[in-house]
Amino acid sequence: MSSKVEEAKLSSYLILLAIAIICLFPLLWMLSSSLKSQAEIFTNMSLIPKRIFFKNYSDAWVKGKFAIYFLNSLIYTFCGVLGILTIGSLCAYGLARLKIPFKDIIFLILIIPLIVPLPGTFVPLYVLLKRLGLLDTRIGLILCYINGGLAFGIFLLKSFFEEIPKELEEAAIIDGATKWQIYFRIMLPLVKPALATLAIFNTVAIWNEFLLALIILQNPLKMPIQRGLMVFQGTHITEYGQLMAGLSIATLPVLIIYLLMQKYIIKGITAGALKG
Amino acid sequence: MKKDYHISNALFVLPAVLMFAIFTIYPFVKTFQLSVYEWDGISPNMKFVGFKNYIDIILADKIFWKSMTNAGVITLLALTFQNLLALILAVIIDRGIKFEKFFRTVYFIPPILSGVVVGLVWKWIYDGNYGILNTILSYIGLEKCATSWLSNPKTALLSVAIVHMWKGFGWGFIILLSGLQTIPRELYEASSIDGADSFKQFYYVTVPLMIPIFFIVSILTILGTMQIFDLIYSMTRGGPAGATEVPISYIYRYMSNNELGYATAMAVIFGIVLFLLSILQIKISRKLKKV
Amino acid sequence: MKFKNFVIFCILIFLFSCSSKKSKQEIVIWHWMTDREEVFNKLAQKYSESKVVTVKFETYAPSDVYREKVRAAAQGGLLPDIYSPLGDQRELASFIKAGYIEDLTEYMNTGWKDWFFEAVLQQNTYKENNEWNLKAGIYGVPIDVVSIQIFYNKKIFEKLNLSVPKTFDEFINVCRKLRESNIQPFVSGFGEEWLIDVFSKSFEYQILGEEGMIKTIKGEIKYTDPRWIQVFELFEKMRDEKIFAEGIITMINKDAERVFATEKAAMALNGSWGINVYSGMNPDLKYDVFMPPKIANAKYPLRIWVSSSFLNVNPKSKFKQQAVEFLKWLTEEQQQIILSKETKNIPSNKNVSSEIESDVLKNFASNIDKSFPTLPVVENWKVIGTKCRGIQSIIIGQKTAKQLALELQKEKEKVISEIKLGSN
Repeated sequence: MSSKVEEAKLSSYLILLAIAIICLFPLLWMLSSSLKSQAEIFTNMSLIPKRIFFKNYSDAWVKGKFAIYFLNSLIYTFCGVLGILTIGSLCAYGLARLKIPFKDIIFLILIIPLIVPLPGTFVPLYVLLKRLGLLDTRIGLILCYINGGLAFGIFLLKSFFEEIPKELEEAAIIDGATKWQIYFRIMLPLVKPALATLAIFNTVAIWNEFLLALIILQNPLKMPIQRGLMVFQGTHITEYGQLMAGLSIATLPVLIIYLLMQKYIIKGITAGALKG
Repeated sequence: MKKDYHISNALFVLPAVLMFAIFTIYPFVKTFQLSVYEWDGISPNMKFVGFKNYIDIILADKIFWKSMTNAGVITLLALTFQNLLALILAVIIDRGIKFEKFFRTVYFIPPILSGVVVGLVWKWIYDGNYGILNTILSYIGLEKCATSWLSNPKTALLSVAIVHMWKGFGWGFIILLSGLQTIPRELYEASSIDGADSFKQFYYVTVPLMIPIFFIVSILTILGTMQIFDLIYSMTRGGPAGATEVPISYIYRYMSNNELGYATAMAVIFGIVLFLLSILQIKISRKLKKV
Repeated sequence: MKFKNFVIFCILIFLFSCSSKKSKQEIVIWHWMTDREEVFNKLAQKYSESKVVTVKFETYAPSDVYREKVRAAAQGGLLPDIYSPLGDQRELASFIKAGYIEDLTEYMNTGWKDWFFEAVLQQNTYKENNEWNLKAGIYGVPIDVVSIQIFYNKKIFEKLNLSVPKTFDEFINVCRKLRESNIQPFVSGFGEEWLIDVFSKSFEYQILGEEGMIKTIKGEIKYTDPRWIQVFELFEKMRDEKIFAEGIITMINKDAERVFATEKAAMALNGSWGINVYSGMNPDLKYDVFMPPKIANAKYPLRIWVSSSFLNVNPKSKFKQQAVEFLKWLTEEQQQIILSKETKNIPSNKNVSSEIESDVLKNFASNIDKSFPTLPVVENWKVIGTKCRGIQSIIIGQKTAKQLALELQKEKEKVISEIKLGSN
């Protein structure tokens, strides 16, 4: 019996490792290309560069004006994710648990834009922002980003909220808690995994977003990091080494956020709180 | 007192609804109405054509429906292989394993990488002249299989699908893992005292509790995969000769060529198909829940 | 508590960053040419120092994002002083009709228009009785010029004792010899439909001539005409002779450039910008260019693709006069020399062509007069798309020339009937 278990464990490890290698490979390629000179990228196909060429990174940082773009991306991502988590969870809780008129219709309306991918909605959005005086402003872009993540966020959180047993709420009401206290003290902590998932999801989405930022913003000092990367992909010439260096720099923060958020997904809910 | 209840309830949903109405619904409706016009996006005149766009698409646009089929094929592959892989990995990690953190981190790297990187790197991997894939195949003696993966109409769609699944399984993995982690350990202990082995535990304890999560993952997979675009654009542009054309890339083509009415109508029809698929999903998951 | 402070802090940061006021007399130019960003900014600074007006170039790339930004701005009434719709004659016509593009004919008629290569200026000019009923005139300013020919690797050609092919049969022979030596003969970014169109057109114009092309677009010559089938059969022949590099039909031009630069193909259909690209990828590469091959018994002369980056003026600009003046300055000989040197593009000012440094570029420049003519009608994009994808299919052996001709004619008839319906 124990050898079967060991066999199973071994094959599990092999599977895990194989998939891990396949996942890592492109990242390693990107990193190794970022350390090669332009000429070497096309001639040397191996993962290990012949000469380590750190210049790509310094070039990328300066040429791509990464300092300011980085800061902007941080602002947009942080405010965007915060906005989605707060406004989204409030709404999701309301739709899941509270008496609200037209609940189902609201939910339906939230879902529809997820399903119908209309092209060119950014044009009326652009005109709208202009009328509101929000063009070329950071707030304007952040509002768009928050808005973009609401539908999916509410969808996910509502499902998680609905799985929480009503007894918990009822117990709290008997203890005299208000709706807000229930929301803040009981419900939110219970959906931490969903919140963490959404945080990561939206961090990646906003961090990598490009089209809306370029259309709504004009002042180069407000541009996010993706705009910096655009510099390396010229109309005709692509500086692959610098591009890879830029992409590596750009990918790093998201990776860090993920590492931080991981533990919230893994910390389970105390046993007995769910279907106990 | 009941009246107070309603108003303060509404405050919960008000910010979201307000924001959504202004920034999403309004542009959505304005764009939606374009589907009954012919408009190039520039001139101040729009020509009303009623349902002509819709009729043309449904009856006469072969390429549109082929693009739907292409997207459908990728979606089916994703629903099965991608999610199965995500589930297996999530289960293994959930059971407890050494280097857990390492694996969890690594599996999430593909979703984090931007579409630019993924498209570029995989293009190089698949390249018919320099690609690593062909090199590996010749090392293990399978040179005959070597081809220009993205240019061969027989392999192009599958090749792109594999990249999509590679990039996507990390999401399913995380959601499934967080679902698995919320199942109390006592249930497993109780069932193993009752004599159940791993497989029985999985079938009787894990699966029933995970149905809502499965449902979320599969609906997200369908919605996300049917709308695939970035990878297609950076890897094949819909080629070779339309073998990897998908609805969004086709809609985008029309939009770039200033036929906004037609493009919008296609998007609406696409949305309706997705909607029907989602309703089908909901019905299936409700039936499974009852069981 | 600390968290709240942090949030307030963030809000303060971006409230600070709200829009800054525009300085007086500033001309804003939107463009997509990332490769020319540096030299544009340098020139803008030079101009701003000596005049009352400041000029600011803003880059938005890649070009499809640029187009969308322009379209959104057009809808919102926020177009800058100088920009370009970055589309074909038909799109430019829509912009002109909607009142977004200034008519520059009067400015041009002061002798300005004589600075430019005629073939180039045509591309933003509309003649009398054009398809779109626009007032005849010149609507844009060409900044520089690019052209497409066939690059070839001199080292490989010398090694195999090959001479530069002039006719189609010679071209095929050269390809055969290359294949025999296990070298891929020909590469190009045929994953991009417009490049296929460019290559095809160099044969189309030889076989059908300008008149034949116009007649085809008007529907008077069918795509099932033997002349069109002859064009498509050329691609069949090239496929049968295996001249095309592996994976050519999903290559974007940048991939094809890499293949040529790393000497994995001996010839490449590419534009004059290749000079810059190849020197970056492989400084030791020895190459030159030749014109696309002549077809035996072709009735009409050989033509090549020549294109210019144009900038147009916004009629609603507050500094229209100054904007036009700046564009005139930008196309003066001194600035054109600087531009050409830094970007290795052909100057649009023809008086400067003797100053071009690179021999290969001179070669390109000397053939500008052979450019595809600017026709008074433009073929529908769906028809061109079908043609290009059909040629892709021919290259991979999925279709025959005759099949493509039939399919193309069907598509053309569908488009014609839609136009008829539309005008009712």
